Amino acid sequence: MIPKELVAASTVPLVLSVLTEGESYGYALIQRVRELSGGKIEWTEGMLYPVLHWMEREDMIESEWREADTGRKRKYYRLRKEGRKALKEEKEHWLSVHTTLAKLWKTSPSSI
Amino acid sequence: MENISEFDLNIALRQWLDRFGQSPQVKFENLNELESHLRDSVVQLQCKGLSSEESFLVATHRVGNPEKLEPEFAKVNRNPRGLVIHGLIFIFFSIVCWFLWGILHFPDMMVTALQGAQLPAFTRLSLGCRSFLAVPPLLALVYCFYVCLRKFHAKSSWMGFFASTTAVLIFITLPTIIAVLLPMIEFMNLQLMRK
Repeated sequence: MIPKELVAASTVPLVLSVLTEGESYGYALIQRVRELSGGKIEWTEGMLYPVLHWMEREDMIESEWREADTGRKRKYYRLRKEGRKALKEEKEHWLSVHTTLAKLWKTSPSSI
Repeated sequence: MENISEFDLNIALRQWLDRFGQSPQVKFENLNELESHLRDSVVQLQCKGLSSEESFLVATHRVGNPEKLEPEFAKVNRNPRGLVIHGLIFIFFSIVCWFLWGILHFPDMMVTALQGAQLPAFTRLSLGCRSFLAVPPLLALVYCFYVCLRKFHAKSSWMGFFASTTAVLIFITLPTIIAVLLPMIEFMNLQLMRK
């Protein structure tokens, strides 16, 4: 299981990335991340919503209450232009970390 | 024998949400979203063979401890920008109301110019209502306090506040202009008759 600090740090890029696949709602976002990470990334589910609302306030995403097929209302989130920009930056940051670590581990694999 | 301890998912959900929603920092919308989440989660768990009660317990456990969630919701629900905009609208609204109250003193000064003639009835009525001009800013102030403390639905509710204050201003300004213009017209008529 990935430590909670790392999970927290990756929440925004994960949400932005999942939303590039199309609009989604909180529960589905969590399911998608769980599925992609093979269950290694486990959010405290309720904690996702304050992050989503913060992202909405920062204009990264927008939301809309709509009736789902089940007849119940759900709040759907969609990516905005600001969100795509933020994702581009996040990608650069995470890839830098990834590249650095990959280089280090490649040169000294026995130390892992 | 009737099983009185039968689990009712709706009641359990309501109780959980009520407990979570006790904090004034949690909006109704947050509760609706969490309810939607919990229901999705419960349905999914039931599909895996869990009972209603088990599904509810697992779903609420996954959502997290309400005591730990509340501060996170509170942090993001605080909206200083929205409060500042409310304050600015309130100040503008109060100044305009005070200005209109001042304008409504103008017909008093015209009484001498009219040389004993009575002010038009509409103007007298408006002058009688002058002190009521304090009511809209007071209501706006109460609303601003309410906004600071309440659990509100809309994300940018200042637009509604702005629209309401503008509508009230139009509603007050038009009769005020008429009330001030009427004695002026009367005065001009008097002058014309004298000529």
